[in-house]
Amino acid sequence: MKSLKLTTCLVATMMFAGTAYAVETYGPFPVTVLGYDGEKENSVSYSGQIARHVLHDSLKKLAGKGNGGANAAELEAQMLSYFNGSETDLPIIAPASKDGVPVKQTMLNEISAGKNIAGKFYDGSMPAWPGEMTGKEVILHMISHAAKADGGYDAVNGYDYAQLISKFTMGAMPYSQAVDNYLDEKLGEGVKPNGQAYKTGAYYTGKEHVWDEAFGYFGAASHSMRLSAEDNYNVAKLRDLGSADLNGDGVIDLKTEYVFGPAYYAAGADKSGKTAYMETMMGAFIEGRALITGANGQNLTDQERAKLQSHAKTIADNWELVLAEATFKYAGSVYKDISAITAASSEEEQAKAFRKYVKHWGELKGFAMAMQSGKNDLGKTAVHLNRLIGFGPVTLDGTFVSGLDADGNFVKERKMSWNSYQLHMLRVQELLAKNFAIEARANDATAELAGLLESLSGDGGAETD
Amino acid sequence: MEFLEQLPALFSDFANPKKRIFFGYLALSVLIALGWLTLVRKTSIAEALRRIFDRRVFFSGSAIADYKIFVINRIFTFFISPMLLSQVAIATGIYFFLHSLDFLNPAAFTGVNQATVVVLFTLTLFLFDDFSKYLVHRWMHRFPVLWALHRVHHSATELTPVTVYRVHPLEGVLYTLRGVVVQGVTIPTFYYLFGSAVSLYTVVGVNVLVFIFHVSGSNLRHTHISISYWPWLEHLLISPAQHQLHHSVAERHFDKNFGAALAIWDWMFHSLHLSSGEGELVFGLDASEGSSASSLKTLYLQPFHDIFRILRRRVRGFYGLAQRLMTRV
Ligand SMILES: [Zn+2]
Ligand SMILES: [Zn+2]
Repeated sequence: MKSLKLTTCLVATMMFAGTAYAVETYGPFPVTVLGYDGEKENSVSYSGQIARHVLHDSLKKLAGKGNGGANAAELEAQMLSYFNGSETDLPIIAPASKDGVPVKQTMLNEISAGKNIAGKFYDGSMPAWPGEMTGKEVILHMISHAAKADGGYDAVNGYDYAQLISKFTMGAMPYSQAVDNYLDEKLGEGVKPNGQAYKTGAYYTGKEHVWDEAFGYFGAASHSMRLSAEDNYNVAKLRDLGSADLNGDGVIDLKTEYVFGPAYYAAGADKSGKTAYMETMMGAFIEGRALITGANGQNLTDQERAKLQSHAKTIADNWELVLAEATFKYAGSVYKDISAITAASSEEEQAKAFRKYVKHWGELKGFAMAMQSGKNDLGKTAVHLNRLIGFGPVTLDGTFVSGLDADGNFVKERKMSWNSYQLHMLRVQELLAKNFAIEARANDATAELAGLLESLSGDGGAETD
Repeated sequence: MEFLEQLPALFSDFANPKKRIFFGYLALSVLIALGWLTLVRKTSIAEALRRIFDRRVFFSGSAIADYKIFVINRIFTFFISPMLLSQVAIATGIYFFLHSLDFLNPAAFTGVNQATVVVLFTLTLFLFDDFSKYLVHRWMHRFPVLWALHRVHHSATELTPVTVYRVHPLEGVLYTLRGVVVQGVTIPTFYYLFGSAVSLYTVVGVNVLVFIFHVSGSNLRHTHISISYWPWLEHLLISPAQHQLHHSVAERHFDKNFGAALAIWDWMFHSLHLSSGEGELVFGLDASEGSSASSLKTLYLQPFHDIFRILRRRVRGFYGLAQRLMTRV
């Protein structure tokens, strides 16, 4: 089976004839740079983006390593080395080998050297977080608080920093870079033209590499198109070596065989069976790449560029929907968690329910911020979303974070009841369903109600005596 | 040919246990009538069957109008789906509203066992539904604009099970809205309090209490078979004879027995009339109503004409009042 897959790739490569052809994997694609005389046969390259995903995954892991203050300075420095990049090689903290699922790379430079998150992080305004900061200032604020927290958990303010940092980053780096840069202005005429190598001596053209970098940010495995939503999900969770290991060498190669954050959430929504984000986005990525390869090292014609831009739009639109689906899902989780908190019969049970609630809230908040880090100005929707979710979740004493003091510490000067906050979650779902064409809608808090209404319809209520 | 293909859809209510004229309920009604006539009234089986399937009733001008209205009103069912959308809107709105009651947490009663929730929900929905039918029916008789519509139902001079469909389409819309409001309020309230434990106790997909109402001869109220209950039972349930009395032209029967399944509302609000000692009834409307038992044109259009007249009178009244007030100032 595996050799068959490989053959398919090779055949696809050989069949290359200047026209679009059907391939199921992202690459290999032949070298088209005119006058290239090196030894490379595959022009696909996005290891820099994979390195950044790995920095992000490792940063998330570190965010949960605090011990309540004692190691704060040291931990913050360590987190910043992953965020800002480091002169020295860094160990890959995540994704790391699991029992029976070995990961090929253990050091960052095995993937790509000299990469960082900071240089690619959204730095526009981020009103979703208190303190009137830019995106980058917000993440640094989160990192510094994460380092002081115990296991990344701040019970007083209701923050789970690993979740906040990770989900926000998923929007502020890969999503922002892809939709606002690589799939946007970098597709323009005269920017990184296809008629030239990306840089002197490179084995890929300007447009080939621009497109590859966008794909790298999406974070799918090169063969994700062939895998079911479940399989992609399990690959990301390092639970399924068989599905991941395309070349059959017994290890997962992070550079091509692993499924990172954004693609993982596309698969997560697709598990509902109601959406096909992965297929749609992978399809657009592959067709776009085939189109560029088909230009054979020449500059793209206007027609080709228009077609490429329509693929880019498909990707950007669906990517936004994936983030909206995740936000919707976690608003539903938070709703359910509050019911568990109010129904808890002991303090211990309540503390446990509250911990879960804080984790889900971190994901909700992070994704809501991710949605606001892209190309689209969400305008009124963002204002309402931020108001409904708040700067922090309602905590056990009814208070929630309302701002920062002069030293950057959180202040909780406002109160809200659990019920009201649950209503806010319903409104978040309502707002998202109204403004985005989301279909998976996991954890829909009113779906059961709608189902109940449906089941009772047509019962002869119109009969008159 | 195309018309023939539509026939099954046209008569689908006869195969739907959610509807009163489901053939099973009709068959049971025949059996109940047969039992009543032979065992209680001591008539022969032949005589009983002759009375149940009385040709003079089923082929009367009034009954034939029922049949035509049944078919024509199917065309108006497309008004129903948008109303079901409004039901979702009402229910969601109420569900959202309940969250603003800080003393009552969502799913506050999730601990209650499921059987209790199901019984409570089934009973509440039935009671609320039945009461709202009583109330709307009462309004239908009380307010001239509504009476202009409801008169269509009362214009029947012979009662057949199909008479339940002898309703002006606008009244049908009002009745559907009534159901929308009842379900749109009850369902979110229960769902809010009890969470996913909420479901209806059903038989063949119908609320078990509605099912009991139907299998116990709900169709007989629109027939000439005058089945009465014991007086104590007629305080609780509306007997066929009691509803027939609601259709009577005799003035002493006006505005009595508005109830659908339960008589308790009529009892509580002083509109109950027991069936005993009433003798033979004449159904229909007083001649002064100027309605018709069989003219479809009159049945469908006269209500609009009457409503227009009533409203015009009202407007003139207001206008006159306003003028008098103005001149005084
Ligand atoms: Zn009637
Ligand atoms: Zn009436």
